[in-house]
Amino acid sequence: MPKHYRPAGKKKEGNAAKYITRTKAVNYLQVSLAIFRKLCILKGVFPRQPKKKVEGNHKTYYHMKDIAFIAHDPLIEKFRQIKVHRKKVKKAIAKKNRDLADRLLNRPPTYKLDKLVLERYPTFVDALRDLDDCLTMVHLFAALPAVDGERVEVKRIHNCRRLSHEWQAYISRTHSLRKTFISVKGIYYQAEVQGQKITWLTPHALQQVLTDDVDFNVMLSFLEFYETLLGFVNFKLYHSINVNYPPILDPRLEALAAELYALCRYMATGSGRVIGNSESGGAIKEKEDENNKASSKADESELRLAQLQHQLPANEPGALMHLVEESTAVDTDDDETKECKSLFKNLKFYLSREVPRESLLFIIPAFGGTVSWEGEGAPFNEVDEDITHQIVDRPTQSHVFLSREYVQPQWVFDCVNARIILPTEGYLVGRVPPPHLSPFVDNDAEGYVPEYAETIKRLQAAARNEILPLPGDEDLDNSLVAAMMDRTESNEAAEKKKKLEMLEKQYHDELKMEIDGVTFSNLSNKKADKSPDTMDKDDTKSYHEEDEKNQAEKDSADISTALMSRKKLGLYKAIEIGKERKRDKVELLKKRKKNAESSASAKRR
Amino acid sequence: MGHSDGEHELEGDGLSAEDSSWSDGGWSEDDDEESLSFEGSGSGSGSGSDSDEAAAAEESDSSEDEVAPRNTVGDVPLEWYKDEEHIGYDIDGRKIKKRDREGRIEVYLKNADDAKNWRKIYDEYNDEEVQITKEEAKIISRLLKGKTPHANVDPYPDYVDWFEYEDKGHPLSSAPEPKRRFVPSKWEQKKVVKLVRAIRNGWIKLDKPKEESNLYLLWGDETDTADNKRQGLSYIPAPKPNLPGHEESYNPSVEYIPTQEEIDSYQLMYEEDRPKFIPKRFESLRSVPAYEKALREGFDRCLDLYLCPRTRKKRINIDPESLKPKLPSKKDLRPYPKTCYLEFKGHTSPVTSISVETTGQWLASGSRDGTIRVWEVETGRCLKVWNVGGDVRHIAWNPSPDRPILAAIVGHDLLLINAEVGCEEVQMRAKELLKICEMAPQDDTDGKKPAVRWMKHEKFDGITLIHHKAVSNVDWHFKGDYFTTVVPSGDTRAVLLHQLTKKHSHHPFRKLPGLPVAATFHPSQKMFFVATKKFVRVYDLQKAQLVKKLESGLREISSISIHPGGDNVIVGSKDGKLCWFDTDLSTRPYKTLKIHSKDITNVTFHRKYPLFASSSEDCTAYVCHGMVYSDLNQNPLIVPLEILRGHSSSDGRGVLDCKFHPKQPWLFTAGADSVIRLYCD
Repeated sequence: MPKHYRPAGKKKEGNAAKYITRTKAVNYLQVSLAIFRKLCILKGVFPRQPKKKVEGNHKTYYHMKDIAFIAHDPLIEKFRQIKVHRKKVKKAIAKKNRDLADRLLNRPPTYKLDKLVLERYPTFVDALRDLDDCLTMVHLFAALPAVDGERVEVKRIHNCRRLSHEWQAYISRTHSLRKTFISVKGIYYQAEVQGQKITWLTPHALQQVLTDDVDFNVMLSFLEFYETLLGFVNFKLYHSINVNYPPILDPRLEALAAELYALCRYMATGSGRVIGNSESGGAIKEKEDENNKASSKADESELRLAQLQHQLPANEPGALMHLVEESTAVDTDDDETKECKSLFKNLKFYLSREVPRESLLFIIPAFGGTVSWEGEGAPFNEVDEDITHQIVDRPTQSHVFLSREYVQPQWVFDCVNARIILPTEGYLVGRVPPPHLSPFVDNDAEGYVPEYAETIKRLQAAARNEILPLPGDEDLDNSLVAAMMDRTESNEAAEKKKKLEMLEKQYHDELKMEIDGVTFSNLSNKKADKSPDTMDKDDTKSYHEEDEKNQAEKDSADISTALMSRKKLGLYKAIEIGKERKRDKVELLKKRKKNAESSASAKRR
Repeated sequence: MGHSDGEHELEGDGLSAEDSSWSDGGWSEDDDEESLSFEGSGSGSGSGSDSDEAAAAEESDSSEDEVAPRNTVGDVPLEWYKDEEHIGYDIDGRKIKKRDREGRIEVYLKNADDAKNWRKIYDEYNDEEVQITKEEAKIISRLLKGKTPHANVDPYPDYVDWFEYEDKGHPLSSAPEPKRRFVPSKWEQKKVVKLVRAIRNGWIKLDKPKEESNLYLLWGDETDTADNKRQGLSYIPAPKPNLPGHEESYNPSVEYIPTQEEIDSYQLMYEEDRPKFIPKRFESLRSVPAYEKALREGFDRCLDLYLCPRTRKKRINIDPESLKPKLPSKKDLRPYPKTCYLEFKGHTSPVTSISVETTGQWLASGSRDGTIRVWEVETGRCLKVWNVGGDVRHIAWNPSPDRPILAAIVGHDLLLINAEVGCEEVQMRAKELLKICEMAPQDDTDGKKPAVRWMKHEKFDGITLIHHKAVSNVDWHFKGDYFTTVVPSGDTRAVLLHQLTKKHSHHPFRKLPGLPVAATFHPSQKMFFVATKKFVRVYDLQKAQLVKKLESGLREISSISIHPGGDNVIVGSKDGKLCWFDTDLSTRPYKTLKIHSKDITNVTFHRKYPLFASSSEDCTAYVCHGMVYSDLNQNPLIVPLEILRGHSSSDGRGVLDCKFHPKQPWLFTAGADSVIRLYCD
């Protein structure tokens, strides 16, 4: 009797009943494969791995319950309607019934995904937990060219842009951005919202090319769900900080493609709005809020007011009140948020034309800084005396204000990751900046700490020491910077001194030898004669000893593995292999580092 | 009033070109005004007006076909004058100079400034710009549309029937007009009614539906936990994408950038192993290009999300040390052999076998160089050498202390010789035993060649047991009278039992499944163990029946040893595994130790201490603690203690034999490097 023999009339049991192959599932649902795919994507249904693959090893299995879940969704009926509708249109066109075709095309069957979002993410935290992919995708599509005739509708790209800006505005406003990283692939951000770490990637602000090797149907299905999800998430988030959700933006700023800034200003004004203002006041308040956010501190409200009046001709006095209220209101932040909020406090940034504006407009306010840019709609212009840092990314800076520092954009990112104001020397215009390190790597766990990470750690320690004695100091940042500068300088000085001493000593030694009458060639010969022998002997001896020692160690390890069960032994070996690989990687890094250093020193010579 | 001054001149010109249709409408009105102003303002001329005048002159020129071309070169290809400075000659034969070429920017600016610029056409022949009049422009546009050039031409004049004939007023068909031509259509009416009804009932909506934003507070009240449960199966969240490391930075530190050779070497790797991302360094942020694989990677992620089967996997993050079994400390298990104490040198070829005398005073060894040596254990002195002239494959010392007899397999056959150790009396007895009366009682009558013939060995005063085929193994019964030999290829006569005192041999098994590898006696009972390649069979000698069959699960058994208690057996195999059988417990191995990387050559138990050892071709010998408890409920305790190294490999062979000292926790190992080593604690 075959192993899986089932008597006729007996129901299937176990894995055969629980799981269904994809083909069978498609047949069961009576839809096409493309629609099945779309349904799976929207419903979040994924294949499972049955313990026993009854139908064969190379098939995809879905859980029967998942398929039933799809089968009972009204969406499946909707898709059928869409199919029918498409047929009708086609038929009308074929019969040259232009009128009917137009009428049909005007009202295609539509569907909403809100129930699906709630079904997949019953609580808000669930949604936040799964937001990584959503954000990355939305940001990716926001960077695609919004051109008619491409495979992606312009409307959707604009929607993606809007959603991503709304999200960024929220993060920036609540100061919940934690880490940033410029990689070759784009810029990574990590934010913490309601205790969830959310990481997303935005492509560099350059034209993306639509390639042919991707299936846009699949991606657009995902995007469809993600757009809905992010819309609702944004709604909830905005609601949580008392801002009206579909934000009404200043059309002027929007036209200037400074949407993020417009949004920020909107939020800054909008937060007071729910408390009791007329409908018409909403937009105004929003704008005030934007202002608030941009400068983010009450003591700078003057500036903000000026901006406000400048931007909003139809301003009303109540708005200002809200503004002030708002700035003093939220004090419920946790420590980290506070730390983030005050990182760039009292610093004023100015962005040159060539730096990635969107990213910096997002980051700097998120860490409490004030920022402006070169171009229209900017809150203040380049000649502003209070600007402390100007971010430039060009080989040389022709006109220089002495009152400010000219740094490369990487400085901002590194400061944010280190949570201290780093010394700017390395980042000045025209220099190759120090290596940009990933904040997502646990260097200790990795076993290799890059040089610059150590430097940053030292600076951080110095900053902490400086901070502790004077909490709440007004010009804390300044003193911090100064202290750090001192620290680094002193370090460098100490190193230099040491080097000098060494050189001096060497010089003295050589002098002595010279006096003794040993010519240099002699000396080197002698050294050469002497060294190999002794070295050899020592080497071989130590080598043997070491060998034995290693052997003994290895033996003791081997002996204890002899009694392990096969399963455990396999696991043990796998762990060992993993460790070995890690070690190799670190070794490789060290080797490369050494090579680079030696080649650099050779070049210097 | 400069402007009006200029207009005065223009008026003068305008008069001369009165017939030009160009200066109609506003122009002519202007003219009138200007003429007035001219009268009012009196004389005056401005430099700006000159150009206007010139332009007007040109216009009037071009509009009239009668004006002869200034150029007189005639109908010649104009490229003849391409490189010349002139375009031709005027009527007086003077060269007409080329004008300066206008730059593109100028053309563009002109285009932008002058709304009528589109009317200007460059006349190549006369090298001048001609402005087309309104009429001309109209004609051109009509031509372009495919109409007749002049608007006053009627393309469809009324038909004039020039010919008159009689009955010209009749229609083609003389049928009367049908009624339906005069009555409104019923079907049309029905259709209209249908449409009207559909519109009224809202089935047909003519305006486009409004798009309203459908966002609302989806997760409103989260206090009700019952609602917050996800329906259906347990949700397995997709694993998050890997976070970028230092090497993905746009400006990684130098050590993360692979050298060119390394990048080249990636090409040699398998596709799957090849690193997908090669770090690259950019000097500044502005030089970072768009990542061309961004879309592709997003797509791959999508595929992963909806195509990859998801399972929950427990990722164990454990210390590998915790996987190792808890073993008692080695200190508590002392004594056991640890370090090499003595080396017995003398053989010139690999020492294949060794055996220790029961008292532990003497050690016999056999080697490929055709010698058997007896050594004093304490000193390492070689006491005696027999040159037997043939490989000594195996050697075994009679376990009885008063019978100093060595059994050695030399070449094909077994040799029993007097070891010539011990006191006179003992030696005498041994000699007695080894005497054999020359006769042929073994003459089997069945015509078959006898399995064994006992022959006297003249040279060493011993006995040779001539087997019908090559012998591989010999083992003594603990009392020292019986011994067994194994002839692997001997079929039914593969395992033989011999009695020394009676000089008698027989083969106890009528049939033996499998190829026997080794046979040995139980250390205290009348039991007999035969190891074939995969199994160990235990026979009761008295009842002559099979008691047990131990399944080793090994590929090929190479050696066997019985615990002094008799209930535990260890088996070494050619795949480097050592199996411990607890025969009371099961017929399957209680524990399998995979300790050697190459064949195990021999395994052995210590007679007194709870130790066992294995030697292998990988030049190591393992010493393990193997405690057997008298309490049946307690499993034997096995602890690997020490790896003994020291032998060097020769011909790919390592340690060929190992034996414990009968009384001390010492281990002798015989190596392929022709040295015997003694390891002590």
